[in-house]
Amino acid sequence: MSSQSKPFRIAALLLRFALGIIFLYAAWTKLSQPWELFAMAIDSYGLLPLRWVEFVARTLPWFEAVIGVLLIAGIFLRTAAVATSLLLAVFFSLMVRAYAKGMQINCGCFGAGEVISWKTLLRDGSMLAAALALASMSFFGRRKKSAAGY
Amino acid sequence: MNMKLCAVAIAALLPAVAAVPEIDPGKAMGNPSAPVTVQVFSDYECPSCKLFHDTTLPTLMHDYVTSGKVYLVYRDFPLPMHKYSRQAAGYACAAAHLGLYQPVADALFKNQASWSNSGKVWETVASVLSENQQKKVQTMSVSPDVLGEIQRDEAAAHRENINSTPTLIVSRGAKKYPVAGGMNYVLLQKLIDELAK
Repeated sequence: MSSQSKPFRIAALLLRFALGIIFLYAAWTKLSQPWELFAMAIDSYGLLPLRWVEFVARTLPWFEAVIGVLLIAGIFLRTAAVATSLLLAVFFSLMVRAYAKGMQINCGCFGAGEVISWKTLLRDGSMLAAALALASMSFFGRRKKSAAGY
Repeated sequence: MNMKLCAVAIAALLPAVAAVPEIDPGKAMGNPSAPVTVQVFSDYECPSCKLFHDTTLPTLMHDYVTSGKVYLVYRDFPLPMHKYSRQAAGYACAAAHLGLYQPVADALFKNQASWSNSGKVWETVASVLSENQQKKVQTMSVSPDVLGEIQRDEAAAHRENINSTPTLIVSRGAKKYPVAGGMNYVLLQKLIDELAK
């Protein structure tokens, strides 16, 4: 993104750091608690069989941590930004579905004890918008670089 | 030397005491020195609490409470959206003072659909009590002691940031974990087993 204007680069940097810190925090809240708590949150969505619930509960926090590190470090940025957008799109759709169905369940976003509400939807929706903006910026920056002959 | 031992024992017990405050023995079941404590924050008028009471709780009692692995503590958390749940909590707490918590709680959950529509909470409670017990429960249910107990349970719920029922606080010493929403019993078992190790 080095060929971009300064405000563009600052915006991209802020988005990277904000999302990176949020993902690291989300990973830490899950990894610092027994995995069963996150598994119960996943299970309450009623979508996966138990063995998949266990698999996701044990692996997803580590995946979130890796994404957080990649975003902050700026390594494999396009891949990390796309992965962040996809992950948040999945989280957001599942939360919207649960909310629309009136399910009073723990969202599983940042550890245990946070019931899905319009506030959690607003927060995750904003994060998804930020991730999509970052992904577009990373691809837009790449096209600019190619056009400039880098 | 004995004083030193005493001080060490008290210091070792402090985190556990801090983790589970103010227990009414009438609303607790099992061995108080069990490795794991499970506090159940519940509302008598909440349908999910009825489901938990009817399905998960008997299995939890059978597998962990009677075997001495879990100390189970009931906490009242009447939600403002439920018209009669505070009244029901008052009767259940009063019954707990007479050692009659379980039959009253069972009757309230069993007939939830009926009294939550008709408002006939007392009739439901009275059906499992003798005449003498009825008099005592009715008087005690509005006593400062019982009302204070319910307020203490509510304060404990607010301290734990609980905003839905049923919510369990599964703890061992200073380690405390909230379990809310749909509770998968297999996963709850794994959590308790891991804490009990």
